[in-house]
Amino acid sequence: MPADRAYVAVADGEPLPADGPVIVSLKRFQAERDLLLARGEKLGLRLDASESPEQIGADVHKLALIVLHVPYFRDGRAYSWARLLRTRLGYKGEIRVSGHVLRDQVAFFARVGVDSFDLPRPVSEGDVAAVQAEISQVYQHSVDGRETIWDLRARRRQPPAS
Amino acid sequence: MMPQVLTANRLSVGEVVYWNAAKGWVRHLHEAEVLADDKAEDVLKGAGVRSVQERQVVGVYLFEVRVKDGSIVPVKTRETIRAAGPSARRDLGKQAD
Amino acid sequence: MYRYDEFDALFVRERAEQFRGQVARRLAGELTEDEFKPLRLMNGLYLQLHSYMLRIAIPYGTLSARQLRKLGYIARKYDRGYGHFTTRQNLQLHWSQLPQVPDMLVDLAEVEMHCLQTSGNCVRNISADHFAGAADDEIEDPRILSEILRQWSTLHPEFSFLPRKFKIAVSGSAADRAAIMVHDIGIQIVRNNQGETGYRVFVGGGLGRTPFIGHEVGSFVAKADILAFVEAIMRVYNESGRRDNIHKARIKILVHQIGADEMRKRVEREFEEIRQSGALQLPEQEMQRIAAYFRPPDFEGLSHISPEFEHAQKTDVAFANWVKTNVHPHRMPGYAIATISLKPIGQTPGDCSSDQMEALADLMDEFGQPEIRVTHEQNLVLPHLRKRDLFALWRKLDALELGTANHGLVTDIISCPGLDYCDLANARSINIAQEIARRFADLQRQHDLGELKIKISGCINACGHHHVGHIGILGVDRKGVENYQILLGGSGAEDASLGEILGPGFDSEGIADAVENVVATYTQLRHGGERLLDTYRRVGPAPFKERLYAR
Repeated sequence: MPADRAYVAVADGEPLPADGPVIVSLKRFQAERDLLLARGEKLGLRLDASESPEQIGADVHKLALIVLHVPYFRDGRAYSWARLLRTRLGYKGEIRVSGHVLRDQVAFFARVGVDSFDLPRPVSEGDVAAVQAEISQVYQHSVDGRETIWDLRARRRQPPAS
Repeated sequence: MMPQVLTANRLSVGEVVYWNAAKGWVRHLHEAEVLADDKAEDVLKGAGVRSVQERQVVGVYLFEVRVKDGSIVPVKTRETIRAAGPSARRDLGKQAD
Repeated sequence: MYRYDEFDALFVRERAEQFRGQVARRLAGELTEDEFKPLRLMNGLYLQLHSYMLRIAIPYGTLSARQLRKLGYIARKYDRGYGHFTTRQNLQLHWSQLPQVPDMLVDLAEVEMHCLQTSGNCVRNISADHFAGAADDEIEDPRILSEILRQWSTLHPEFSFLPRKFKIAVSGSAADRAAIMVHDIGIQIVRNNQGETGYRVFVGGGLGRTPFIGHEVGSFVAKADILAFVEAIMRVYNESGRRDNIHKARIKILVHQIGADEMRKRVEREFEEIRQSGALQLPEQEMQRIAAYFRPPDFEGLSHISPEFEHAQKTDVAFANWVKTNVHPHRMPGYAIATISLKPIGQTPGDCSSDQMEALADLMDEFGQPEIRVTHEQNLVLPHLRKRDLFALWRKLDALELGTANHGLVTDIISCPGLDYCDLANARSINIAQEIARRFADLQRQHDLGELKIKISGCINACGHHHVGHIGILGVDRKGVENYQILLGGSGAEDASLGEILGPGFDSEGIADAVENVVATYTQLRHGGERLLDTYRRVGPAPFKERLYAR
């Protein structure tokens, strides 16, 4: 999914712009839900590391963008939140990771369903591909549905039906 | 506060080194520069930080020493061991040089 | 044992090249130490007191002769000609140099080895019973599941940045030789009333600053479900484990805080979802493919009694002593398991030289031994020896200083590297182990004392497993001076218990005396063939306190 860079992040207490897509905090969304949804624009929501996407509730599908904030690269909750969004919650919108992330982590994020990044140094699809290419196969299934080494082994055992 | 010595590990080979403004990073404690307590912080923030940026060393810090009969003696056991090598293997480390 | 296919082999080769690139970027200044540190830790590279230390993964402690020989070669070529076997069945080399580590990884990859995830906040080396495949009480070889978990947890996209490190151990029998009760996840292979094999799963065990025994969260998890169940536990931990305080970040703290029942509930919830999603976590075929590698070797049909073995014991007292402690029953007649002690009196516990590693590899070839194991008590095990070969083998081991007849005895001490090597340590541990061993060196006295596990850690991180020592010793820094606390009554076996601190600590001069006093109290109070552990459990700390402190 291509990243939509038109969003404006609006801090709590700051007035919303007249138009255009915005990103607000979970707290603000919970407080001003109706108003935000009535704007008729795409809506983004930012989750802090401690905020599970389950807290969004049934409205999650009304969000075009969810930003998972990573305060420090060691905080690995966002990987689980992205996975949760894609699987249990069936979220189809854009998932973006912001904050403090190391280059080598972008490949992991891509595997668990993250579409884009908002980091001090921009990360392109080419960057993600470059990191993923360093280790060309994976052992475990994830959101990306990539064929695993176990799948490749199974495939090799069954010759293709002619 | 007591006199201090600036120490680190060489980035590449990992060995323990000590700072001496005249000689740079030296291998043996007896060659280190003893820093008076008011000067030590400056050296840490100056030469210490610069050396990290220049990728010579990692893990720069100061430790306390006493000077006894002209010898530099660390206050902490940990630094005595860093200076000499493992006490369990006297044939290894700087003590075997 | 498991053999890499081309996928596994490519994986570790690519990993070595990836690290080469990361090292080059570090040395060129494109990565700061803060950015590089997590990358080198995920390849087991620490910066210790004297040098870099490389921790090489030995999955479930199993090595082939070829691998052991290569480890000896790598230790000689790149390090100082020796390595240290750890309480997690890994090997540490203490004198590594950063620019050479990529080459070391390439050399390791050539023999199907790596340093993946031996550090970092990820799933670490999966440890397992060192008697796997040989013990007569084994239900199933625990290394099959261990290998499955190893692959599944390698560079897992969701679980590579956990709140803290994560340690899993697997046991294949009721007897716990893998210390599963003090691991983040401990798995015991069990059989149900229908005769099906499944898994009993414990969560939240661990040592360190706040030790805990694990709680059962699954009494019988079916084989097909075990990966989903483990994934469920990991997810609950990744989402809810504490991130604000490094000392409260292990899963044991989470279990303690929310309670075992709540933990079980959360795990069940995740587990159900994974199961329902139908994601085929553990293909039956893959399980079978891996299991095939752990089929036992072709055993000869031998009789129970080996005349050569019996005769040698009668005529060679030293050999008989070795048999008494270091030789264990094998499930096949005519075979035996032998423990090779890495605790010669006065040496560093767990250390092994390159010469010894290479000589051992030769012995493995000579005696037809496909595998050797590393134990979590820092010894080595040859699992499938013919009884008739034991005497000849032992004589050669003895000549290599590998024949010490002290397995499980008071001089079979477990000790972390401590302040002699480790950046985290507060006190030295090796010298304490050596002094205690020297005091108790007399073999007759050792036999009289029976099974007595002393475990020493140089700091609260407890790499020496002191919490589960019959006598545990914790080194601390007391106002700049090394000081040693004694704990009594710990056990890492199926009767798991955490040691209790006896009282104020002792200095380097006094700790060996204190241990002698503890032992003296035991010998005075013991009933029948009680071990010190049993006596302590029966009489409690009071008599020991009195002997050590009432003055």
